[in-house]
Amino acid sequence: MNKKQNGWKRILAIRGMGQVITVGIGLVVMCIVFGIINPTFFSSKNVANLLRQIAPILLIGIGQSYVLITGNIDLSIGSVVGMSCMISATLMTKGMNPWVAVVITLICCLIVGVVNGGLVAKCKLPPFIATLGTMTIARGIAQIVNNNYNTDAIGDKAKVFRDFFYYGKVAGIYNTVLIAMVLWLVFNFLLSKTRTGRHIYAIGSNIEASKLSGVNIILTTTKAYLVSAFCACVVGLVICATSGMGTMDAGNSYEMYAVAASVIGGVSTLGGQGILIGTVIGASIWGVLQNGLQFAGAPVAIRNIVIGVIVVVSVLIDVIVRSGRFSKKSH
Amino acid sequence: MDSQNIVEIEHMMKSFPGVKALDDVSFSLRAGEVMALLGENGAGKSTLMKILSGVYQKDEGIIRVFDQEIREMTTQKATELGIAIIHQELNMCQHLSVAENIFLGKEKVKNLMLSQKEMNQEAAAILGRLNIDLDPATIVGSLAVSKQQMVEIAKALSVNAKILIMDEPTSALTSKEINDLFTIIRKLKSEGCGIVYISHRLEELKHIVDRVTIMRDGRYITAIDFDQNRMDEIISHMVGREIKEKFPRVTCRKGKKILEVKNLNAGRLVRDINLELYEGEIVGIAGLMGAGRTETTRAIFGVDEKQSGQIFLDGREIRIHNATDAIEAGIVLAPEDRKKDGLCTKLSIRDNIALPNLDILCSRLGVVNRKKEQEMTRKAVESLRIKLASPDADAGSLSGGNQQKVVVGKWLARDSRVVIFDEPTRGIDVAAKVEIYHLMNELKKQGIGVLFVSSEMPEIMGISDRILVMCDGRITGEMEAAGATQDKILKYATQFESKIS
Repeated sequence: MNKKQNGWKRILAIRGMGQVITVGIGLVVMCIVFGIINPTFFSSKNVANLLRQIAPILLIGIGQSYVLITGNIDLSIGSVVGMSCMISATLMTKGMNPWVAVVITLICCLIVGVVNGGLVAKCKLPPFIATLGTMTIARGIAQIVNNNYNTDAIGDKAKVFRDFFYYGKVAGIYNTVLIAMVLWLVFNFLLSKTRTGRHIYAIGSNIEASKLSGVNIILTTTKAYLVSAFCACVVGLVICATSGMGTMDAGNSYEMYAVAASVIGGVSTLGGQGILIGTVIGASIWGVLQNGLQFAGAPVAIRNIVIGVIVVVSVLIDVIVRSGRFSKKSH
Repeated sequence: MDSQNIVEIEHMMKSFPGVKALDDVSFSLRAGEVMALLGENGAGKSTLMKILSGVYQKDEGIIRVFDQEIREMTTQKATELGIAIIHQELNMCQHLSVAENIFLGKEKVKNLMLSQKEMNQEAAAILGRLNIDLDPATIVGSLAVSKQQMVEIAKALSVNAKILIMDEPTSALTSKEINDLFTIIRKLKSEGCGIVYISHRLEELKHIVDRVTIMRDGRYITAIDFDQNRMDEIISHMVGREIKEKFPRVTCRKGKKILEVKNLNAGRLVRDINLELYEGEIVGIAGLMGAGRTETTRAIFGVDEKQSGQIFLDGREIRIHNATDAIEAGIVLAPEDRKKDGLCTKLSIRDNIALPNLDILCSRLGVVNRKKEQEMTRKAVESLRIKLASPDADAGSLSGGNQQKVVVGKWLARDSRVVIFDEPTRGIDVAAKVEIYHLMNELKKQGIGVLFVSSEMPEIMGISDRILVMCDGRITGEMEAAGATQDKILKYATQFESKIS
């Protein structure tokens, strides 16, 4: 009993957990409301589908959260998703072994991460501008790999690829969901328990102090952009596996979905703050709203408006709560 | 005492674009001594120490540490040699805990994982040794500035420093904390540490300092054994001329009442404040850190919300809901934290001076009159003797003292009735201080009410005509400067309400 209480205390003591819990309650309420409007919302088929919808948002959310916590932003995410989708599909339609194609795709995407990190940390470009540039470049690459056409179907040889990233199931859970869960565990560990993670928070909190304390700013920033590029790459592969072909505009405006998932979950766009469990909640709210509003029969336009309002309100609540906390601080 | 030199710097040269920061500077430090490094702002003290600690790279010159010549000093190399530096600006990660800040860049890792527990324990031990009462798990951003400064000190000492450089360590500390710090310094000294101590608070020197090195305009002037009786000599070395009066005073006839604040309440640190301000006087507000002085000035100026209270200007009640109201009524505030509240460091000096005066400078359509703007800047620069390359340079490129002058200067261009200064001389050198005092006296002569907050008692007693003392959000005492003593002020400043009611 006592041990259990201590466990709770420890969880509550985690920085940023307060907001995550608030938003988590919001998520639960939202699910209940959608369940009442349309009970099939809770059908096992829909839940499985819903989780599979959330998974890619969670993945890009993880990447964006990493970058946001360093105090930067990555606008190239969506284009890297497109690049990953197009490069892998093109290679596979040419008959390449799917796994070799995946490795090559991954390398290409990680190069974007390195370039982002270099431009921002080494060349000191404002991250908004630097990644705006790489965003356009990466989209261009996505278009050029197959001469400005979407690819044909990636074919039978790629069935194992499509199963691995999308259609397969293990223990009744879709592979996409499992991939997202495993990567979440890995990146959560990296962020909360390792030196690199600590440095990511530190440079987002005070870059000057970190520099003077001997933290390698360029390396740490680049690592964050690498995580972001890696996550985007995986999402691109998932999209390729889903549709069985490469589409040039895959991942369009995903970078903003990623910002939304992070911010709803309590990651600060100013850096230094946020935990990945928050990103899970943020991505889930995003997915539940999309799915639930669709079930409730709301048209796309209404869905967009509602989601936009939710993003603003969730950050607004945080700002209000925080200003309250700061006035307490002066006591 | 061991008189062996542990640090020797010879013929050090360093240039920044457009400025020669160090010109043939020599410096030495012995084991077990506290060496004060003195000089005005921009004399090159911080630059020299940043080179010694590897933050900057030297252009030319020799650095020897423990008789070993160091050709290329990096921050890492400096840490290995046992050189630790406490920087002038607070350099804390606000979102991280005390322990995390102390171990930043040198985290303890076991099997890839951070060993948080071990770091917390070790941080607690370090804090305990320094007599700092803090929980290592506290988030630094929730601590008062003075506590953050103590964390900074703990961080520097966590590496077993043999050579400790302190750049203005006391500017944000309360007197008790300064005492604690001095105890720590004495202890380190007895353990054989060499300490370089940079401070503008000359009155502190007598407590800890053994020798002083004086620099001026990037050049080495002299190094002498410290002696309280040679203070005047030291100061004249620093400024290169005699400063006749540290606290120039002009006498004016006390005129009519300008400002009256009645029953002002704004949060816990501004409780039932009543004060009056007359023409021809300077009123100083003394008190300890966290007494509510800054908060009071902010509430009067309208930037913080008031719960209740009335403000009268020239006998007429005025309503101030925000800073614009205050400025229009003729009350202006030169805030405490220059970089945070006082200046747009990335804008030019001219833009900064013009910013609060755009209502005067703009035509009816809102177009800025460039000629008027230039004229206003020129006047401010001249009357305050601001040293600048060009009015179009970034405000952030100025030295601390000159930045402060810009903060003040932007308010002088308009006809104000009341000017409030919050810590106007923090972190600036003796000569610049005197210029700020002259300026306050000038305002006083013009019949403008001057209200100023300061933590330096000699300054409060030397410049103000009347002194208000605050403690815990209340005004606990009032006295004429003529009858004021440090003891009296301190007595009022520590008059806390009894906790048991």
